[in-house]
Parts: sequence; C-alpha cells; structure tokens
Amino acid sequence: MSYIPGQPVTAVVQRVEIHKLRQGENLILGFSIGGGIDQDPSQNPFSEDKTDKVNGWDMTMVTHDQARKRLTKRSEEVVRLLVTRQSLQKAVQQSMLS
Amino acid sequence: MEDCNVHSAASILASVKEQEARFERLTRALEQERRHVALQLERAQQPGMVSGGMGGGQPLPMAWQQLVLQEQSPGSQASLATMPEAPDVLEETVTVEEDPGTPTSHVSIVTSEDGTTRRTETKVTKTVKTVTTRTVRQVPLGPDGLPLLDGGPPLGPFADGALDRHFLLRGGGPAATLSRAYLSSGAGFPEGPEPRDSSSYGSLSRGLGVRPPRAGPLGPGPGDGCFTLPGHREAFSVGPEPGPPGGRSLPERFQAEPYGLEDDTRSLAADDEGGPELEPDYGTATRRRPECGRGLHTRAYEDAADDGGELTDQRPAFPAVTAPLAQPERGSLGSLDRLVRRSPSVDSARKEPRWRDPELPEVLAMLRHPVDPVKANAAAYLQHLCFENEGVKRRVRQLRGLPLLVALLDHPRAEVRRRACGALRNLSYGRDTDNKAAIRDCGGVPALVRLLRAARDNEVRELVTGTLWNLSSYEPLKMVIIDHGLQTLTHEVIVPHSGWEREPNEDSKPRDAEWTTVFKNTSGCLRNVSSDGAEARRRLRECEGLVDALLHALQSAVGRKDTDNKSVENCVCIMRNLSYHVHKEVPGADRYQEAEPGPLGSAVVSQRRRRDDASCFGGKKAKEEWFHQGKKDGEMDRNFDTLDLPKRTEAAKGFELLYQPEVVRLYLSLLTESRNFNTLEAAAGALQNLSAGNWMWATYIRATVRKERGLPVLVELLQSETDKVVRAVAIALRNLSLDRRNKDLIGSYAMAELVRNVRNAQAPPRPGARLEEDTVVAVLNTIHEIVSDSLDNARSLLQARGVPALVALVASSQSVREAKAASHVLQTVWSYKELRGSLQKDGWTKARFQSAAATAKGPKGAPSPGGFDDSTLPLVDKSLEGEKTGSQDVIPMDALGPDGYSTVDRRERRPRGIGSAGEASEKEPLKLDPSRKAPPPGPSRPAVRLVDAVGDAKPQPVDSWV
Repeated sequence: MSYIPGQPVTAVVQRVEIHKLRQGENLILGFSIGGGIDQDPSQNPFSEDKTDKVNGWDMTMVTHDQARKRLTKRSEEVVRLLVTRQSLQKAVQQSMLS
Repeated sequence: MEDCNVHSAASILASVKEQEARFERLTRALEQERRHVALQLERAQQPGMVSGGMGGGQPLPMAWQQLVLQEQSPGSQASLATMPEAPDVLEETVTVEEDPGTPTSHVSIVTSEDGTTRRTETKVTKTVKTVTTRTVRQVPLGPDGLPLLDGGPPLGPFADGALDRHFLLRGGGPAATLSRAYLSSGAGFPEGPEPRDSSSYGSLSRGLGVRPPRAGPLGPGPGDGCFTLPGHREAFSVGPEPGPPGGRSLPERFQAEPYGLEDDTRSLAADDEGGPELEPDYGTATRRRPECGRGLHTRAYEDAADDGGELTDQRPAFPAVTAPLAQPERGSLGSLDRLVRRSPSVDSARKEPRWRDPELPEVLAMLRHPVDPVKANAAAYLQHLCFENEGVKRRVRQLRGLPLLVALLDHPRAEVRRRACGALRNLSYGRDTDNKAAIRDCGGVPALVRLLRAARDNEVRELVTGTLWNLSSYEPLKMVIIDHGLQTLTHEVIVPHSGWEREPNEDSKPRDAEWTTVFKNTSGCLRNVSSDGAEARRRLRECEGLVDALLHALQSAVGRKDTDNKSVENCVCIMRNLSYHVHKEVPGADRYQEAEPGPLGSAVVSQRRRRDDASCFGGKKAKEEWFHQGKKDGEMDRNFDTLDLPKRTEAAKGFELLYQPEVVRLYLSLLTESRNFNTLEAAAGALQNLSAGNWMWATYIRATVRKERGLPVLVELLQSETDKVVRAVAIALRNLSLDRRNKDLIGSYAMAELVRNVRNAQAPPRPGARLEEDTVVAVLNTIHEIVSDSLDNARSLLQARGVPALVALVASSQSVREAKAASHVLQTVWSYKELRGSLQKDGWTKARFQSAAATAKGPKGAPSPGGFDDSTLPLVDKSLEGEKTGSQDVIPMDALGPDGYSTVDRRERRPRGIGSAGEASEKEPLKLDPSRKAPPPGPSRPAVRLVDAVGDAKPQPVDSWV
C-alpha cells in the first residue's frame, strides 16, 4: 500500500488477538517480527504481514525495538493486533473494482 | 483475490473470503445499477438525438419552459427567496428529464441568476429565450465555444460537454463526483420529482431526494441529451460538494470550480511546478472528497484528462469504492449541502450552452448577500474565476473585492469562512503584488491568523497557511506576517506537526514529523519570511520552539530517509537562513568571538597558529583520544586539533541548536541522502553559513565537518549537474578551508573536481550545461582560497592541469568577473617561487600569469587574494551593501534565495535586481566568508560531545523473537 507521509492511510486490516505465553519472566508471542522504520525494508525477512496497531498503539512508524517492546510488554497478557498484508489489500480492491 | 500466503493465519484467510464475498455482492449490485442506467441512457439518447437534431422536439420544451418560468418568476422577485427556489428548480429539472422538458434546465438556470443578481423576471425571460433559440442550432458548440466532445443532443449534451471540458481543464476530480452520483442514483430513490417547491432549504433537500429519478427521467427526456450526461452529471454534482448554496446560482460552474480551485491552490502552494504530485495534497483536498481514496482520485484525474466521454466509463469503477465511504461523511453536512450537490448535477444536465455567467461585479455583490450560502458560493465561484487568471485577480482588487473577502474570514459560518479563504488564496497568488498589498491593507494577515487559530478544520488550515505562504513572498509583508503570525504558525502548526515535544515522554516513542500540507505551507511561509533580514532572523530564532521543532523534523526526515519532499526543503532553507550571520547576531555571540585575524593572505598561517582562546577548556582524556583518532591522516603539528566546546550545564535549545556541532551530521546526512536540489543547496548553504565567521562555533563546525567525514560528501557534490548546488558546495568548501587541515585535505582531494568545473566553464560537456557565472566565480574563489598560503595545494593545482584551464578561461571568458577571478588564482600560483621552475618548463611565462591578471582586472594592484577577500568580506561585515557584495557572494545567495525562499513567487521574483541589495544578501545568508579574516583554522579541537554523536550508529537487529 502506498503511503504518503502525513496523510491518513486506508488499509484493510485483520484483527488478531494473541494470548502470550509465559517463558520465565517474559511473556512471549511465539513468532518473529522484522522491520521497523529504522530497518532497511529490502532486508526484511518477512514481507507478508504488516502490523499496524498493537493494543491500540500505532505501529506504523516505530522502530524495530519499539515494536518489540510494545509486543512483549509484561504488563499485558493479551495483545490485539491489527494486521494488514498486500494480498488482503489486493483482494479487496479487486472485488471493489470488478 | 486469491492471496493467502504461506504465512497467513487461518483467521485472516477466513476474513478475506468473507470480505470478498461482501464485495462481490456489492459489486453485483453496482453492476446492476450501472446496466440499468446504461439502458436508460441509450433510450434517452436516441430520442434526444432526434429531437435535438431535428428541432422537432422544441415545441415541447418551449412549453415546458414557459410553465416553469411562470412559477419561478415570483420567486425571482423576492430576492432572498430566490435562492431557495433555485434549488427547487433544479429538482424540477430533474423531473423534467423524464418529461421532454429539456428546457427546464434553462429555467432553472435563469432562476438562479435572478436569485443571485436579484434581477427579476426580465432577465429570466431573456435567458430563457436565448436558450431556446440557440438550443437547436448550437448543439455542436459548448458554452465555451469549444466543440462538444460528443455530438450529443443540443441541450443536455451541451451542458455536459461544457462541464466536461471544465473538468478536463482543471484536471478536475471527476472521479470524486462520479462516485457520489453513483451513490445517489444507487440509492434508488423513488422517482418522485418534486419539481419546484419554491420553499426554503428544507424543500431543497427534498429535491435532492428526487434526484434518483434521474435514471428514469433521462430515458424519456428527448432534449436532455442524456447520452453522456448520466455519467457527467453525476460527476458534477459530486464535485461541487463544497459549495452548498452556490448550486443554484451558478450551479454547474460551481461544481466544476472546486476542482479548478484546488488546482489553483496547488499552484499557489508555490510548490514546484510538479502539478501532478501536488494533487494529492491540494487537488484532492481530503476534505472535499473524503470519500475517495487517494488512488481513486488519481485515477479519476487521469481519466478525466483523456476525454470527457470517458467519464461515463469510469463511473462504474468509482462508485463502488467511493460510495460507501462518501455517504456517511456527507451526512453531517445537512440538507443544504446535499441540495447543492444535486442541484449542480441537474444543471449540468440541463444546462444550456447559453446561460449567462454572472458578471464579476455581480459576484462581488453576492459576497454581501444576506443569505450565507450565497456568500459562500460567490466566494467559491470567485476562487474559480481567479484561477490562473491574472486579469480577474486584478479586477477583483479594483472592484474592492478583497476587503469583502477578508471580512468574511470572521464570518460566523464555517462554510463562508472557508470559501472566502479559498478565494483569497488564489487571489494572493501570482506575481502581481498589488493584491498581496491590498490584502494586507485591509487587515488580511491578522484575520488569516485568527482564522488559523480558530479553525480545527484541516482544509481551512490548509487554505489559511497556503494563503499566508503566498503572501509571504512579498517583501513588505514579511514582517507583517512575523508580527502577527509567527507565534501562531509555530505553535499551531510547526511544533505539533514536527513531532517535537518540549518534554519528551520517555515511555512514548519520539514522534516523527508529519509532512502534512499544512506543515508544508507553513514552513514555506516561514521560509519566505526568514529571508527578510536581521530582524526577521532574530525573531524567528527567538521564537520559542521553532528551531527545536525544525531540527526535530529534519532529523525525523533523515531517520526515515524521506528527505526529498517540499517540507524538508522548506525546513532546511529556514535553517540556512537562520544560520546566516549567526556569529554576529545571536545574543551573547561576542563571548565566543575569536581574535581578529591580522592581515590576510600568506601571513595568515602564523597568526592562526598563535591564536588560543580563552574559551578552550582543558581536555579530557576522551576528547584527546577522539581527537587523535580522527586525525590520523593529517599533519598533526600544523593544527591545534583539540577543540573544547564551552561547557554547558543544560542541553542546547532554541537558537543555540543552530550552531551546535551536532547539526553538522544532520546537514551531511541531507547532503548524502536527498535528491532534492533545493535541499542540497540549502544544506550546503547552512554549512557555509556556519563555517563562516570568526567565532568559536565556526571553528568547531569546520572541524566537525572533517571529523564527520563531510569533506568527501561535499567534494562529490561538486559533480552535481545542478548549478546552484555546485555553487553552494564550492563556497562551503572555501569557508571550510579556513581550517588548516581542511584546507590541506580539500587541496588534495577536491582540486581535480574544482578544475573540472573550471574546464566545463569553457567547454561544457553538453550544450546548455555551462555553469553560470556566479558558479564559476565561486569555484575560482575556492581554488584561490585553497591555493593561497599552501604550496602543496598549488602543486595539486598544477598536477590537476589547472593552469591551462585557467589561462584558457582568462583568455576566452566573456565574463569580466570570471576572468578576474581566474587571473587572481594564476597570480597566486606564480607567487610561489618553488613552482616557477616547473611552470617555465611547461612553457609558461610570467607574462601569462601577470598580464592575464592585469588585463582582466585593470588595476593590477588588486592583489588576487585581496580582491577576492574584499568581495567576500563585505557580505559579512556589511551585508547591507548588497550591490557591492553582490559580485561574488551575494549573487549566489540571491540566486539561492529567491528560489528557496519565496516559493510561489520565486520564479517571478528571480530578477535579482529587484530586491534591495541588502535584503537579497540577507536572504541568502549562505555565505559568510569573513572567515578569511578569522584566524580560525589553527585550532580545531574536537569536542567530547562530538564523539558521542559520532558513535551512535549502531546496527539494529533485523528481526526479533517476541
């Protein structure tokens, strides 16, 4: 999805709720994240899902580390994500335009 | 559609499917609707054609018209009432479509005019008559006099054709409109056309409801010329949204206008002429057609460009997307709004080619109309009329329309305020400064600022800031804007949009800058006013939070690698301007002054060396280490490489940030990353400004540029294809070479590039690529600077085969200044006795060096260095003597300045001569070469803080397990 800084983004999103696992002191989600505004997008190992929000926090403009912290907060046992992906977007567009 | 990938979660898949299903359903429904409409159209077309072409259809229409007229006439008499009526009429028109009454449209139009103008029936009648008569014959031509795109039936088609054209012209947002129309039609309202309730708005809304019938009506209506219309009409109706009331009086125009306006706006924005790019911001005006997605927009736009006819086709696509969104948003607007929208559509459909546009005085009179929507529409129409039309702008001023509009900025109704501001934006755009002055004279600036403070609506904020940007390009208004608007612009826009927080919350991530249109406009405005001289600079520097916010925004841009946009350009230009003369103008600057250097020229070295400032504090270990690290490749003994920053108990803030060595990294990042020439130029200019002057901070900056490995970055930019970038970089290098180590490094590594530029000056690599005189002179002066007082560098010049290039330039250049600057260099080279041997071996004679100089400059007495310096110095010391200075430094700055500063007008303004010299020089604060005098080069000791800054680029993990 093309993104113009400063302009609202319209995205088709999927809500995902994840109950974290306890691993020692930490709460883990059980998957890996990549990217972040401080990362080189071309090096991103995962290109499919994009996380837009975590428990209401906007994740579109955070660094990798900020995202990681936000996801693994110990005070939150559940994370609710808004996830988007290219294919989702395309599917919706096509159905609208056809 | 398929999509789901390996990674996808089952839930996502499910939801996608569900959504697909939903969309399919929607799509099907839309498709049905479309077909339905298409059928209607076909039906309509044929009859229409016949009637139109034959003229046989006329009798009926005429009759119809008359009827309408009668009804309307009463309305027209009551001026106020008229407005409401108009809408009704419109509705009727719609209905009419069903009937053969093409003429109806005429009627409606007439009514509207009456309403607006208050002229009664007579006019109406006239209009009507005209319409009828011409309907038949003029089919081919649109109101514009342009041939209709599709040879539709006379009446209906006409209108449409014209409209389309409008759209096309403006690059209108047909798309938006279309979608809306679609919605309305899709709504499937009952066909009940309640034609003319001449009642008030309430009735109007009803009319809207009527609209749906249009599908039905169209078919029957012979004269409607519905063929193309359906699509068009809809489009129009949608487009107009903005102007509610306007619909009636100038319904169609209005509709179309909004787009035009926006376009205008765009241009206003003073952006580079990248029309298309701007569109997203201005054109789309999120507000106006919120419903349309950006993508849609663009598309619509493109399509529109092709041909009016295409609109119909487009329609299907849009509706689906737009429709759902649009509806909800609009709801709040209320019945009036709705009415308006629809009404336009009606008009467009029916509109006669011949209906009369209100005269400009009439439009202006409407600005005082007691009914608010009339005011708003009149203002909106005015905006449209003014778009790219200097003549109209002038007449509006002459007819004293500007005070009326300014007064409306305080109107209680938001719509009126917004429209008035839109008109002012267009009126304030352009090279005609009289309008700008007139807006000032009636208190426009404070009124705009008030509106900005009060407005929460984004579109209004865009309009206000856009207008201020336009105004800010006019010299006499700059200080006015600073006086009234600086605080507000900073606190309402710059700070919040920059992401900077006074007291950053540790928990939350640092906010990034938002490159909104409002921010872009505001930064453009401040960029312009920042060039207004020392007082303006002082005000901006001391405006709390401004510098902090600008820096934060730029850092955020660099962090996001988003450094090419206009907002960044504006911010850098402001920073550059504020950095100009910072060493003399900043409060407390005298505490940091370094001893005045003695005589210039070769004696400088020793002086530089002996300089030691009280400001140096004992070094700490860290500093020392850092310092040594950094200097591996230099001759240690030649410089005092340890610099200590003055101790600070608190972090720098406000204007202090301008000249902290930390900014060097920022500018270098911009120089590395940005592809925007203006940004490159401004960033180089900022370094140039900061490295000039003989105060401590300049010394630190010069050293820091080296430590941050900035010299190679600058040298590389000497290859830029953009003249002004080369110029700014060359001048920056000259200032930087006041630092002895920099001078050595620049002499070793930049000489080849500099000489190449000299060669290009005589033999451009490609046609049109010849550097401007100012640039050539700047390059020559830089060469002169680095060759002076450095035998090694003079050798480098010989090795780079600079001598033949210089001699050739002296001999061939048309420019006295170039020849003079080149001969200065030659003279200096000859002054090294050590080099004469090899020079003579190459066949050069003394005469070559000195005669060149002599001829070039007349009084040979002007020593090369001296002459050079003089030109430079004046800038620093007497910036106000613009003209004198101008020769070398000022001009470059000017060139920069106009561009950079006054966005909108810059092009027009370009004529360098225009501004008072003083202003010009100030604007372009770029260059301060006073450095020469300054002894500075000697001591460059790294500061501890610098070290930290250097170290912090740590690689981040690419992925994390969470």
